[in-house]
Amino acid sequence: MSVDIALSELERDALTELVNIGVSRAASSLRKMIGEEVILSVPAIEILSPKDASRLIEEREAGQLVAVRQQFEGAFAGRALLIFPEETSLDLVRAVVGNQLSPDEVAEMEQEALAETGNVILNGCLATMANMLKRSLDISLPEVIRGDGPLLFELLHQRAEGGLVLFLYINFSVRNRDIRGYIAMLMDLPSLAALQQLIADFIERVVGKEVESVSSKGTDSQNASWQA
Amino acid sequence: MTVRNSPQQPHRRAIESAVDELRRQAGPIFTALEQSGLPLAITDPRLPDNPVVFVNDAFSEITGYPAEEAIGRNGRFMQAPESDPATTARIRAAIEAGREISAEVLNVRKDGTPYWNRMFIAPIRDASGNIIFFLSTHFDVTQVHEAERIHRDLQTGQKKLDETNERLRFTLAVAGAGGSWEWDIVNQCLNADARFSALYGLDPIEAARGVPADVFFSAIHPEDRPRIRIAVAGILGGAEIFSKEYRLVAPDGSLRWVHARGRCHFDENDQPLRFTGVLVDITEQKHVEERLRIAQTAGGIGTFEYVQGFGTVSVSDEFCRLLGLHLTNALPVRTINALVMPGDPPVIEQSPGLEGTSYAEFRIARSDNGEHRWLARRGEYVQDVETAGIRFIGVVYDITTAKQSEERLRELNEKLESRVEERTRERDRLWSLSSDLFSVCDGHGHHTAINPAWTELLGYREDEVVGTRFDAWVHPEDEASTHEHLKAVLRGDAVGDFDMRLRAKDGAYRWINWTFAPAGDMFYSVGRDVTQRKQLEDQLRQSQKMEAIGQLTGGIAHDFNNLLTGIVGSLDLMQTRISQGRTENVERYAKAAMTSANRAAALTHRLLAFARRQPLDPRSVDANRLVTSMEDLLRRTISESIQLELVPSDNLWLTLCDPNQLESAILNLAINARDAMPDGGKLTIETSNFHLDAASASTQQDVAPGHYVAISVSDTGTGMPADIVAQAFDPFFTTKPLGEGTGLGLSMVYGFAKQSEGHVRIYSEVGKGTTVNVYLPRYHGELDDQDVPSGLRQAHRAEAGETVLVVEDEPVVRGLILEVLGDLGYRALEADDGPSGLSVLESKQRIDLLVTDVGLPGLNGRQLADHARLLRPNLRVLFITGYAEKAAISSGFLEAGMEMITKPFAVDDLASRIRHIIERS
Repeated sequence: MSVDIALSELERDALTELVNIGVSRAASSLRKMIGEEVILSVPAIEILSPKDASRLIEEREAGQLVAVRQQFEGAFAGRALLIFPEETSLDLVRAVVGNQLSPDEVAEMEQEALAETGNVILNGCLATMANMLKRSLDISLPEVIRGDGPLLFELLHQRAEGGLVLFLYINFSVRNRDIRGYIAMLMDLPSLAALQQLIADFIERVVGKEVESVSSKGTDSQNASWQA
Repeated sequence: MTVRNSPQQPHRRAIESAVDELRRQAGPIFTALEQSGLPLAITDPRLPDNPVVFVNDAFSEITGYPAEEAIGRNGRFMQAPESDPATTARIRAAIEAGREISAEVLNVRKDGTPYWNRMFIAPIRDASGNIIFFLSTHFDVTQVHEAERIHRDLQTGQKKLDETNERLRFTLAVAGAGGSWEWDIVNQCLNADARFSALYGLDPIEAARGVPADVFFSAIHPEDRPRIRIAVAGILGGAEIFSKEYRLVAPDGSLRWVHARGRCHFDENDQPLRFTGVLVDITEQKHVEERLRIAQTAGGIGTFEYVQGFGTVSVSDEFCRLLGLHLTNALPVRTINALVMPGDPPVIEQSPGLEGTSYAEFRIARSDNGEHRWLARRGEYVQDVETAGIRFIGVVYDITTAKQSEERLRELNEKLESRVEERTRERDRLWSLSSDLFSVCDGHGHHTAINPAWTELLGYREDEVVGTRFDAWVHPEDEASTHEHLKAVLRGDAVGDFDMRLRAKDGAYRWINWTFAPAGDMFYSVGRDVTQRKQLEDQLRQSQKMEAIGQLTGGIAHDFNNLLTGIVGSLDLMQTRISQGRTENVERYAKAAMTSANRAAALTHRLLAFARRQPLDPRSVDANRLVTSMEDLLRRTISESIQLELVPSDNLWLTLCDPNQLESAILNLAINARDAMPDGGKLTIETSNFHLDAASASTQQDVAPGHYVAISVSDTGTGMPADIVAQAFDPFFTTKPLGEGTGLGLSMVYGFAKQSEGHVRIYSEVGKGTTVNVYLPRYHGELDDQDVPSGLRQAHRAEAGETVLVVEDEPVVRGLILEVLGDLGYRALEADDGPSGLSVLESKQRIDLLVTDVGLPGLNGRQLADHARLLRPNLRVLFITGYAEKAAISSGFLEAGMEMITKPFAVDDLASRIRHIIERS
């Protein structure tokens, strides 16, 4: 995939770490909500076209999906999505609200419960990241949307300029429940550029001068391994 | 302090005087010395053994010896046993030389404690420069020495510690055990255990006590450090899980790979409190992983790990590649299993209670291009230590190629099977429908399987045939040949086309033509019913025989007619001439008649010989003489228009053959030549020596190499085309009109030549003529003397009174014989049958010889002879016999004094035989 905006390995590490922090918080919130172990994968970060992003999801989930979406604006802007296969969304709801409810009640509560769960997770994730980057974000109210991969990624991202998005996804699964999902973050190029600058600042803060000497020394090999 | 109570009494006075001298010399300085805090002692080298003569209080203080115990003794009494001998020797040497010296020696106080004494010893000289005293100052330097020792010990300890740490690091690396750390986020302090310290090269004590938190990054390879700083920043910022691999630089510069796995602990307000974790040396593991990764990539082996109850599976890149998925390290179980074709086992089994190892093969439709591939999955269920759940760890790999080959092989097999089946059906049809007899026989010639044709053709049921030997119903006459062929096929030779008769169930024999095909220790036989063919052949042979007989009789009749014409004509003319009284030419006619008759006799003789396959009577023959002797006969046989030329070769070898047959052969060939030249021509009869070498012989398979006598008969006649030449030797083959030839001529020539171990060649060209060469083997012996009698010679004549009894029922023959006997001067008696002959024999008449026909009415010749012998035991007998009877009177028939002559015979022959017999008695 051709990338206009290239993240150095360190920037990628930093971004991964930022997401990791956010998602850890979110997972811990989720864990508290459902009382089961939540397994997270290491976040994967790709910069690709919405089409490729939807294919990425599609090849994992062929069926209908449910997504909780939140838009965020501020130093950088984009959308965050919490995506579940549609058939597990009720399980998630049941996990959150408890088993004592009847199926009808669960179905009734689904939309609301999903939105709230999504809000806890996404908000936690985004807020943590913003906090780490020492910026604030305005996060919209969550909305629940349904559709397949293309719908979620292409139609919902008509605004994407340059046709590229940051696709950041994390698999999570919940022990003893057939619940799994992805967190995706979609950003357009201007936002990406802004985010990259924030990440650079973050690195500067954390690593300090050490980076200068090291990154200048390690750039070549890092870039090489990047492209590999 | 003065020395008053010194125990050294012997020196006392001397010492006292020495002290006085000291005081005198030193003056007020002595008092100062006495009171000085500096321990000092003075010895007097002029006294024996350089004894101490003065010590001050400070000296007593550090040594523990009061002055009175020290004075009078040599200073060495304070030295510890372990004092360095080199140092004491040095001191001694300096004192002897009168030099000053500074040295540290280990001394022992009075209470036994050792201490390090730094001494300075200086000589004190008088005005004339003689050494009068030695002044020594003493300084306790034990503390300095201790410090040095401690320092040394410390260094040793550090080294040992380093070594221990190094060893520990190696041990940890090998054992894979980890060091642990605890990072107090609030106080910015890092506590680590000994293992961690060993890996980081930290002082374990300090590390245990707590070091600045930044030490965590100290040993990290510079290239990895920013990355780890970011990750730690994440933890400090609220991330939960820390799992990083990085390099550590050991104090000696070597690199170790470690995996740090940590977790952040939060307070009730979700503020990070502590960051704890475990550090594991994975250097070896890295190598192994790298090798494994390369092996997996090279081998196309994808790995996965699945904890039961979870929705996702950890997978390797190669795993994703195999399934045509985007590279990732976690995939939903559902996604993976959804790629498997319906009906095939899933990649990841999710049902609980699984254990042990598991293997499955399944087809997938690749996610990226939908291509169908065969994959194999091999996995193992293991107890997960961390979660107490079941972990399913395994590999997948592509087996499409193997499966495809398997599939192809299977298809091929199926095709082959169906083909085989088809072929088998065809064969079965052949087997069951064929009218030929098929059978499979074992190594002993027993039928193990037969086809239905056996039943149809011979009437035997299958169970009657199977188990019997192949020759069970063979015709007795064919047994021998059948056994030969059976032996051959059981030896492994293929046998084809042999006929034999099998007895059918109804008792009739069927002719079967067999083909045997050996196959290992068994053989297949195919038999075709050729009974009809055999019958047809018989019929054909019969009709051929009839035809041949027709031809033969026709030819013979023709020849006989010719001969009879000669005889009758000659006799006719004789009669005419005799009645005319013109007897001058009678003899010529008689001769002609005789020649014709001889030829007729020869003809019948040959016929009989041919019919009977009479054995030849080979003798040494001079072909030149034989041919020359035939000239007259030949000239008379061929017509006037044909020119006869005899070309006898000089120095011709003898040959061994039956001269009569050779004569006959030449005559036959001459007659053929004559017939081939109806309009005249030239008949040439040549003889020559002929050598057939091995090389030429090899091209003519029926001829042995060697020396031959060649007799060639050439004509300038019509010649024969090649196809006629090819048949020329066939019996009964003739080109002559019906009734003009027997068709036996050339055939007989050929038979004669072969029987004589020679051969015949024909060279013929249409319109040019024909040459027939008869080759007869060379004979290396002498020529037999052949008496060629001519006419009734005087030698045959009877002596006086010799009487011969002739018993012959044929009056012409009897009369002829009687006439000959009369001509020869014998007294002749005659009888026309056995009984009358016997009555003559019973008379008292003189009888020298009995000449009797064998075939007589009433009493045959043999019986007659036997009776005669009873009456006249020494009676000589000459039997006359027709050729046909000769067989009946073979050897054993003739007793002594009995002989036999065959009809027809020449008169001359008869005369000589009679004379011969009578004379022998």
